Amino acid sequence: MSKNNPAAPYRLPTGGLVDRSQVLSFLFDGRRYTGFGGDTLASALLGAGVKLVGRSFKYHRRRGVLTAGSEEPNALVELRSGARREANTRATVAELYEGLEACSQNRWPSLAFDVAAINSLLSPIFVAGFYYKTFMWPAALWEKLYEPVIRRAAGLGRASQQADPDTYEKAHAFCDVLVIGAGPAGLAAALAAGRSGARVVLCDEDFLLGGRLNADRHEIDGSSGGDWARQIEAELRSLPEVRILLRTTVFGAYDDGPGARTFGALERVSDHLAVPPAHQPRQRLWKLIATRTVLAAGAIERPIVFGGNDRPGVMMASAVRTYVNRFGVVPGRRVAVFSASDDGWKTAFDLIDAGVAVEAIVDPRAVIAPVLLDQAKRVQARVYSGAQVVDARGGRGLERIVVRQPDGRVTKLSVDALAVSGGWNPSVALTTHVGGRARWSDDACAFVPGELPRGMSVAGAAGGSFGLASALREGAAAGAAAAAATGFTGAAPPVWRADDEALGVTPLWYVAESTAKAFVDFQHDVTREDVALAAREGYRSVELLKRYTTLGMATDQGKTSNLNGHAIMAALTERAIPDVGTTTSRPPYTPVAIGAFAGSHRGKHFKPTRFTSGHVFAQERGATFVEAGQWLRAQWFAAPGETHWRETVTREVKAVRSSVGVCDVSSLGKIDIQGLDAGEFLNRVYINLFSTLPISKVRYGLMLREDGLVMDDGTTARLGTHHYLMSTTTANAAKVMQHLEHARQVLWPELDVQMVSVTEHWAQYAIAGPNSRRLLERLLGDALEVSNDAFPYLACAEFGWRGVTARLFRISFSGEMAYELAVPARFGDAVIRAIMTAGEEFGVVPYGTEALGVMRIEKGHIAGNELSGTTTAEDLGLGRMMSKRKDFIGRVLSARPGLTDANRPVLVGVKAVDKAAQLYAGAHFLALNAAATLENDEGYITSVAFSPMLGHWIGLGLLQRGPQRMGERIRAHSPLRGGDTEVEVVSPLFFDSEGTRLHG
Amino acid sequence: MADPVLDLRMALVPGAPLTARTPWPELAALSSGHGGVSVKARDGLGLATVIVRRGQLAALTERVRDRFGIVLPQGAYRSEAAGVAFAGTGPEVWLASRETGNGFAGFLANEIGAAAAVSDQSDGYAVLRLTGPRVRGTLAKILPVDLHARAFKVGDVASTVAAHMGATLWRLEDAADGAAVFDIAVFRSFAGDFWHALSESAAEFGLVVTAPDA
Repeated sequence: MSKNNPAAPYRLPTGGLVDRSQVLSFLFDGRRYTGFGGDTLASALLGAGVKLVGRSFKYHRRRGVLTAGSEEPNALVELRSGARREANTRATVAELYEGLEACSQNRWPSLAFDVAAINSLLSPIFVAGFYYKTFMWPAALWEKLYEPVIRRAAGLGRASQQADPDTYEKAHAFCDVLVIGAGPAGLAAALAAGRSGARVVLCDEDFLLGGRLNADRHEIDGSSGGDWARQIEAELRSLPEVRILLRTTVFGAYDDGPGARTFGALERVSDHLAVPPAHQPRQRLWKLIATRTVLAAGAIERPIVFGGNDRPGVMMASAVRTYVNRFGVVPGRRVAVFSASDDGWKTAFDLIDAGVAVEAIVDPRAVIAPVLLDQAKRVQARVYSGAQVVDARGGRGLERIVVRQPDGRVTKLSVDALAVSGGWNPSVALTTHVGGRARWSDDACAFVPGELPRGMSVAGAAGGSFGLASALREGAAAGAAAAAATGFTGAAPPVWRADDEALGVTPLWYVAESTAKAFVDFQHDVTREDVALAAREGYRSVELLKRYTTLGMATDQGKTSNLNGHAIMAALTERAIPDVGTTTSRPPYTPVAIGAFAGSHRGKHFKPTRFTSGHVFAQERGATFVEAGQWLRAQWFAAPGETHWRETVTREVKAVRSSVGVCDVSSLGKIDIQGLDAGEFLNRVYINLFSTLPISKVRYGLMLREDGLVMDDGTTARLGTHHYLMSTTTANAAKVMQHLEHARQVLWPELDVQMVSVTEHWAQYAIAGPNSRRLLERLLGDALEVSNDAFPYLACAEFGWRGVTARLFRISFSGEMAYELAVPARFGDAVIRAIMTAGEEFGVVPYGTEALGVMRIEKGHIAGNELSGTTTAEDLGLGRMMSKRKDFIGRVLSARPGLTDANRPVLVGVKAVDKAAQLYAGAHFLALNAAATLENDEGYITSVAFSPMLGHWIGLGLLQRGPQRMGERIRAHSPLRGGDTEVEVVSPLFFDSEGTRLHG
Repeated sequence: MADPVLDLRMALVPGAPLTARTPWPELAALSSGHGGVSVKARDGLGLATVIVRRGQLAALTERVRDRFGIVLPQGAYRSEAAGVAFAGTGPEVWLASRETGNGFAGFLANEIGAAAAVSDQSDGYAVLRLTGPRVRGTLAKILPVDLHARAFKVGDVASTVAAHMGATLWRLEDAADGAAVFDIAVFRSFAGDFWHALSESAAEFGLVVTAPDA
């Protein structure tokens, strides 16, 4: 023992797989310690003699490191500081790096003295179901009182509350064979599959390949297990089709597609570094798509439930071996072993070989294999067979254990560490994620995989084969078979020589004689007594047990606790374990940061943004942008000195109505429709007739959904005999395309129709206002005659202009004489600048969606607010458009009683009686003296605007029997924003009701 | 247009060809040296959607063979001859392309006649050519498609999603250095965000911008 190393009193002077030349300094709770390269935070802390690493969730009991793997329930710490602080990091998987900072959590004011530990004294009231029973009434207090108090008391570490400075990314990997776990079975499988030439992905959550080979003393073909793993790794790395993902947890199995299944995996790319290197993410989320999978995830050692089994210093026997053999760290100076399996005895022998005093081997089995007894005798270890540890005692850490022998004699042994082995539970989680149920095995004394997900096989301990030779044999066979199933029939599976010791376990689930608190679930502080209470109160199904006691519901998913809890329930209810069953685990196998799921799609990149080709121009002109679906559109262009957006919008509207303005309308959907039956097709999707539309003309159209409600509106131009161009609203472009494709492919495959979105090919600008024609004349010159005679309202043309094919449509949303000019998108920037130049003399202004909205409301044109998916053509005042000469989608259901009810709200205009009053969209219509109740509701305001032309607020709304109520006074009731306003019902056509401006 | 002022103004508006703007302004700065991925803009490419008219597949196949010497691919494949290519992007739908893009859609419509509907998409898509030793590792972060040499062969096409954006991808003949070569097309309006996703994904491998083909 390294008495000469005061900084690491529990570190052996030699041995292990740590790099002793690399001394790493780190902070735990503000104190400085050192460890070595290759350490985990847990091994470094244990090496430094730190046994107390955290406080438990409910009772705030002192806790130490229990395991050496990802199943760790106790040693959860806050890792790093500042914005990088991560709560609930398992010290057993956190790799040590220079300058690491960690803090214990769940304690106040300090780890050694924790005020909330009084919960432990109050434990009779903190029993299972406590929350349900205590905080049931009054329920109203849940959110405000109970939950915050409970949360503070049961804190699980603190979030940093700051933006994560690191990046995350997602990646896909496809393979013939996915091997999960790189212990002996996984390495054998990967090599067998890799040698065949198959594409192999091998994942392991550790930073070192080998699994238990790095933690136990084995020989394979004359090499140490660790050396063998390194040899296999070298060969795997030489195979071009094999990819090894270290620090990668396959956390979930998901659906299978054609011949392959998808798995989720998390690669901790930079978690072992203080700061990720340049251009490297902290973590990478892999979507692995595998034709075949070999699950070689190993097994997790099971604790035994006995009094005081959570004292710091009580540790899993296999974890003790890991710390001794892999990290050169001993858990104590006087150690006892409490093992119900032959496997646990290895811990005693390894400790003795490492020079640690083993005070006793306590084995509940009456009959012990002679070979073990012989070996124990050789090393002079005291053996208590048929005995049990009934209590583990101590203050800050374990000080003594109480051993009860079969004759009832009780012996107290002074120890500072206790290694516990209750047997092993195969890691079956990934076999259950897609619906499989684990199956009880009497041989393994544990649940083993039942029906496997299609394409998956299991090898080694994950399947309940605990011997090394079995693991190698099964791994090689599974790897070769998986490769063969994907068409890679190579050499015979490799064969290795190794020992094949049986586990030799007679499970001891709990020590009945224990009187002190005995923990089943360490992370959620579920005790044996809690399970007994659940049994007494009738929560006997494992699913009810789980929810009543929270057994297995912590972030460790009960990896060390579930089976013990279920076995205790079985014993208490006198059932066999397979009859009690077990709960099914769900993804993720270990916690995954939400950031990893988001990947690079964070902030503004949460979804893609679409930019029109006029975007740069709009930016230069100081536009404020608004999101319209994925598109970014100019909302308004504030001029210097304008202080309120409404001032800007009013100026833009007035400029358009008095001279000319230009608006980028590129984001509106454009669908190119061709074919001999294109006209018939349009007849069937629009409510109005289109086959009669002359070439070079545009018509406004309205389409319904199958259920008779309005879907979208827009114009369609006829470019040729069998060639149309449909426009849709920006918001509904994709939905309309989908709708049309459904109609074309499914409803009427017999029609000759071809369609494709050409939205992106064209940049399109609306040029509106009394001077729009003069602007166009300057802009287009001889390219196109745009006089009223040659190019009247609703004309369209395609023409050559300045080296491009351009299109012009005479359509208007503003009610002004207006045109839409379309050019191939690469010229969109040049054309908006050319329009501005050509319009300079007329004071042309660029205007945004807000001015467009104001003008359409002034004209009573419907838009998104009215196309809400709840309105009919009749509701929108467009009922007369419904052709009686043809059938169309939505015709039949638009005639159903609900949609033809004379009381349905219909589109009207409203204006406030008090001209100064503001109107609010969403305000509900009520009769003047009616109470503001649902029964009196007569409709609501859909759109409002301050009309620059009229000088007051105007609104569009849906009002019951609206058209018959012109001139009537009602109220617009908006308790949310604007109280009660008396309004007059008017025509929705507020401005230029004769439409003279339109025709110019 | 009798107004003399108007005539004067008209003369002031230049009739010179309009200036095109690239969807990839970020690629204006070329880089030198070697990287894991190299990228160039393919702005000059002519693109058109070709959708067969009902019952005209045989006629279209014949036309395409006659006029372009191309066997019209059935499925997600691409055939190329003399600078013109047809890539299958859906059932009886192709994305046709020509290296010299100007006027391609009109030309194609004339050549194909009544056998198919042709729609110009030359400006609808922004296209990049990607190559380099780490091109697959880069695309693995963006695309859910198996691009392994055995799975995605020269001439294969994928209509897929790239970092939440629709994308069409095809593999060309390997480069002289043996690296795989892909063209990837996204809707023009997505170019900025696609570039963001691509450049972030390629950063760890080193991204080199090379000059577009003349």
